Amino acid sequence: MRPPALTVERTLWWGPALVILVVLALGPLIFSDYYLSAVITKSFWLGIAAASLIFLAAYVGMVSLGQVALYGIAGFTMANLVAADGGSTIAWNPWVGTLAGILVAVAVGLVFGAISNRSYGIYFLMITLALGVLTYYFFAQVTQLSGFGGVNNVARPGIVSNPVGDPANLFYIALLASAGVYLLIRYVVRSPFGLALQGIRDDPSRMRSLGYNVPLLRMLAFGLGALIASVAGILSVWWNTRISPGSIDLSRTLDVLIIAVIGGLYRLEGAWIGAFFFVALDNWTRGVDIVGSRFNTVIGVIFLAIVLLSPGGLMGIWGSITDFVARRLSPARTAQPPVRPANETGPAPE
Amino acid sequence: MSQGTEALPLRQRLRVLEAQPLALAMRVIIVGLGVFVLLWVLFFAQDALTKEPRTFLIVLLNGLTLAGLYFVVATGFTLIFGLMRVVNMAHGSLYMLAGFFAFQVQKELTGGEATSAFGTSEASLAEWIIPLVVACVGVGVIGIVMQQVFLRWNQGQDLRQALITIAISIIIADQALAHFGGIAEDIAAPDVFPETVDLHLAGVSYPFFRIFVLLVAIAVGLALWAMIQRTRFGMIVRAGVDDRNMVSALGINIQLVFASAFFLGAMLAGLGGVLGGTMISVDKSNDTQYLLISLIVVIIGGMGSLAGAAIGALALGLVDSFGDVYLPEGYTNYSVLLIFGLLVLVLAVRPLGLFGRPA
Amino acid sequence: MRDRSEKGRLRLWALLATLVLVVGVLAAGCGGDDDGDGEAAGTQADTSTGGGEASGEPIKIGIFSNNEGAFAPFEGQTWGGAMLPLIERGATPVSGDPTKGVENATIAGHPIEIVYGGSDSTPDKAVEEARRLVEQEQVDILIGPLSGSEGIAVANYSKEQPGTTFVNGISGAQDTTLKVRSPNFFRFHNDGTQWTAGLGDYAYNELGWRNVVTIGDDYDFPYSQIAGFVAEFCSIGGNVTKRLWPALGEEDYSSFITQIPEDVDGFFMGVGGTGTVAFVKQYGQLRGNLSDKIMGGIFMTDPVILKELGSQVEGVVTAGMTAGDSQEPAYLEYAEGLGTAYPELEGTASSVFAYGYYTAMQAIAEALEEVDGDLSDDHAAFREALSNLELDAPLGTIKLDENRQAIMDNFLQQIVADNTGDGVPDVKTIKTIPEVDQTFAGFFSPETPSPDRENPACEKAEPPPWTQQGGGG
Repeated sequence: MRPPALTVERTLWWGPALVILVVLALGPLIFSDYYLSAVITKSFWLGIAAASLIFLAAYVGMVSLGQVALYGIAGFTMANLVAADGGSTIAWNPWVGTLAGILVAVAVGLVFGAISNRSYGIYFLMITLALGVLTYYFFAQVTQLSGFGGVNNVARPGIVSNPVGDPANLFYIALLASAGVYLLIRYVVRSPFGLALQGIRDDPSRMRSLGYNVPLLRMLAFGLGALIASVAGILSVWWNTRISPGSIDLSRTLDVLIIAVIGGLYRLEGAWIGAFFFVALDNWTRGVDIVGSRFNTVIGVIFLAIVLLSPGGLMGIWGSITDFVARRLSPARTAQPPVRPANETGPAPE
Repeated sequence: MSQGTEALPLRQRLRVLEAQPLALAMRVIIVGLGVFVLLWVLFFAQDALTKEPRTFLIVLLNGLTLAGLYFVVATGFTLIFGLMRVVNMAHGSLYMLAGFFAFQVQKELTGGEATSAFGTSEASLAEWIIPLVVACVGVGVIGIVMQQVFLRWNQGQDLRQALITIAISIIIADQALAHFGGIAEDIAAPDVFPETVDLHLAGVSYPFFRIFVLLVAIAVGLALWAMIQRTRFGMIVRAGVDDRNMVSALGINIQLVFASAFFLGAMLAGLGGVLGGTMISVDKSNDTQYLLISLIVVIIGGMGSLAGAAIGALALGLVDSFGDVYLPEGYTNYSVLLIFGLLVLVLAVRPLGLFGRPA
Repeated sequence: MRDRSEKGRLRLWALLATLVLVVGVLAAGCGGDDDGDGEAAGTQADTSTGGGEASGEPIKIGIFSNNEGAFAPFEGQTWGGAMLPLIERGATPVSGDPTKGVENATIAGHPIEIVYGGSDSTPDKAVEEARRLVEQEQVDILIGPLSGSEGIAVANYSKEQPGTTFVNGISGAQDTTLKVRSPNFFRFHNDGTQWTAGLGDYAYNELGWRNVVTIGDDYDFPYSQIAGFVAEFCSIGGNVTKRLWPALGEEDYSSFITQIPEDVDGFFMGVGGTGTVAFVKQYGQLRGNLSDKIMGGIFMTDPVILKELGSQVEGVVTAGMTAGDSQEPAYLEYAEGLGTAYPELEGTASSVFAYGYYTAMQAIAEALEEVDGDLSDDHAAFREALSNLELDAPLGTIKLDENRQAIMDNFLQQIVADNTGDGVPDVKTIKTIPEVDQTFAGFFSPETPSPDRENPACEKAEPPPWTQQGGGG
């Protein structure tokens, strides 16, 4: 087979991607310890959380605001099962705790999925939001498991070591996890299961008439989303060395939504791009006097601007740029109208 | 707004369900469980009704008055959705803003001395009504502006509109924090209202303002029902819910109807905000709280239904109030799970809410 | 609807604008790569090299309090308190807003650079902010945080940063020093438990209470407060029949008030921050006059809260580490200094928020003066000085125990009618409990369970020495 032709468009997509990958691989050599840990590693796990949202939104047509709650469940479960200050006094092996956390979160995700799988569109959004906030209240009020102060000093597997003193380990783990999640999603969407999900996204009644068990498939998809979210949850607890209800309150839920939308709600790469943008902006604005603690206003305005003007997010903008450049540089191609209609938000009919 | 469902006769529905025995069995079990738990918590736990009628009555009143407040707020939310299919995620922010506006106006009017110390409220009736009107109208105007600038040109794109209103609520929340500060404030009730009223029932004296809120809620419910069923505007609204294009084709200015409805919905949020601010307090976390409440009420009751909002508000208010007090000792902080259970119960039986209609 | 081409052009401009913004952010973000200094636009004051007195190396002190959340209204007080020791040493406030910091601050000849931080009472945010100040801004000393749960998290974090010295702001959970015991975390004020010393005794012996209910927010600081009260009250024979825990931020207390039995002798009110006002109002509506049934924690006497509460709390007894009616010259000087430097803080000198941050900065200043600003060797000499410091604070001497936790006097106070003419009820000190330590006369140790919803249990025990039954009174 011949290698794919080197078009302008491909260069503009793959070029930056390769540069980014190289930079990341050499991360600890390029960035300061603090930046590596506080910004880049955080972008990885936040990106994974956003990826779970984007996966469900882009490939199954389910925009869920319950992803943060699910990652919280994974995190709290693990924090309670291993040695820590607060929560229960069980002290299992950290790897076992991690596995248990993921399993519990997936189980709960399947339950949430079963509750909401017959709702679509905006109803689904509302129900997952309600479930998410209720999860927050649960952990805030049940002091045996957390309480307001949360669980501190959560024991980590040896290989994670100390995220503050020794950030390189967690950085690489998070990098690999992100890559793994990305590849997993890309694999799944090409599988028969994934194709069925996309069919459901486009036309549920037709899928039903073809004999697919639509509610079951949606529930399973939600479970898969929960799996991805739980990876983010575990990483976040390792990164923070603690977890408290404040980690999963409504503002965090909205943060992940904002990240997904800013990055690009229908492109998977957008998850990490959006996460980096968000975290870097937050970090930067804290130091700037005029903005000070008004980060939320800034991010709210950017979010609004993106939703109003460029629903494809940053990835969409990049896509428009590459289209534009490609058209300029390849006059032989006939000028085509933009692929996306001007005011479309996504493939799912409401 | 819809008043009834397109429900099939019960017999037919049962027949449909019978065809899927597992689904039927599951629903029966869940409903049965729910009813059992409810009865147990309400009546058998601690012999509530018989041994301590006074406490029971107070808790019941707490629940009803809360339900009244929730109803007023949720009605605005469901009205906007029912007519325009807009999920206004900034509804809670409007509630909060109204509270803060009213507080500021009252502070100006009374020269900053309106703290409601026990026994003496320093605000006259006018000094409560004027802030109420200003706050409601102010918030209504914000609602219209929001609708005209951000929501008018992308009708039909539910998700996008939800995202837009989320963004607006984030900005409002942050700016409110910056301008009004983080401290909770109290709006003083009018001094013509007594502080408490003796109910002559089990020796209970209950705060008058809370009862006033309940009365206002009932009045609002009746007025809205009358408006929807008996006025021309209500007729247009009902028609618009069913078929927007046809209404427009008949020469009616549907955009004006939408704007008015949005104004009304926002004003209801504002009314709720002022009532809640006087009954409880105004606080910057109100936006999340009352958005969640509106969501739960309409998930239970069904979008676009007035009766649904009433039922949902009652359910939530009562569960909230009873759960806090009557759960077994040591488990009172699990009351949130009761609400969760309530949601699950309703969604298992009717995914669109008790009175909900498919879009 | 705009036509296609116009919309297209608009989109292009929007895209360009967003792109510029993105590039700008990335550029700024990547600017922090190599040297870890970060975007150091966050400092509030210059490093002064003028005047000839400031000749040593600059010392960077980070200060963070709450600028969001339930305790945000107290931020001004915390900063006012923190800046005052610097102002006493010649610094000048940048403006009337305490959070803007000071200029020309020096201690022991070293210029002082102040860095601003803020969190929202949640542990996550507090640690994030601490990390930013310590790792990105590279402060030498960090003062903060404000809230109970934050303190535990930050104290844990301090163990990871042996090169920085942490001094507590005003966070009052017991565990922060008693359990965490970080070698570089210092607290120069009493914790929540110590602040209730004397209340149990007063309730039992003076008010004749035997059955009591407690109510407090559901997080670490009220747990600590109520733990102290319960330990003392129960040890001398009292009984705590019920403990109620509304969630922090809960504003509707009606169902909790309903749970307080009618026949209880009294109750301890540990609801704090902005909930205090809502609670008192709703209690008044549901149960009537409360002043003879209620005992308060430190929030009730806070000047900001007291102003809102008004005359309905006259007669209520509370306890805490400040005595607003003190006539000691040192205290009067401190109060006057605060009001002069920051007119908006006039009358708030007795606020624990101001006092806690004040003692923190004052301790740092005195210790630095003792070692001439020597921070070498991971602050060894400086920390030694801090540990051994006997701070002559405006309301009495403060010493540290072996866990670097303060031992200081506690004041039993009663709220009385206004006699200063400012319209706000006043506070009268009715008893002083000297030198309360963190073990609370032996009740608490690193091995006892952390204060929470059920701990400590209500049991008869050896009464503390300051109670009547224990030989004091």
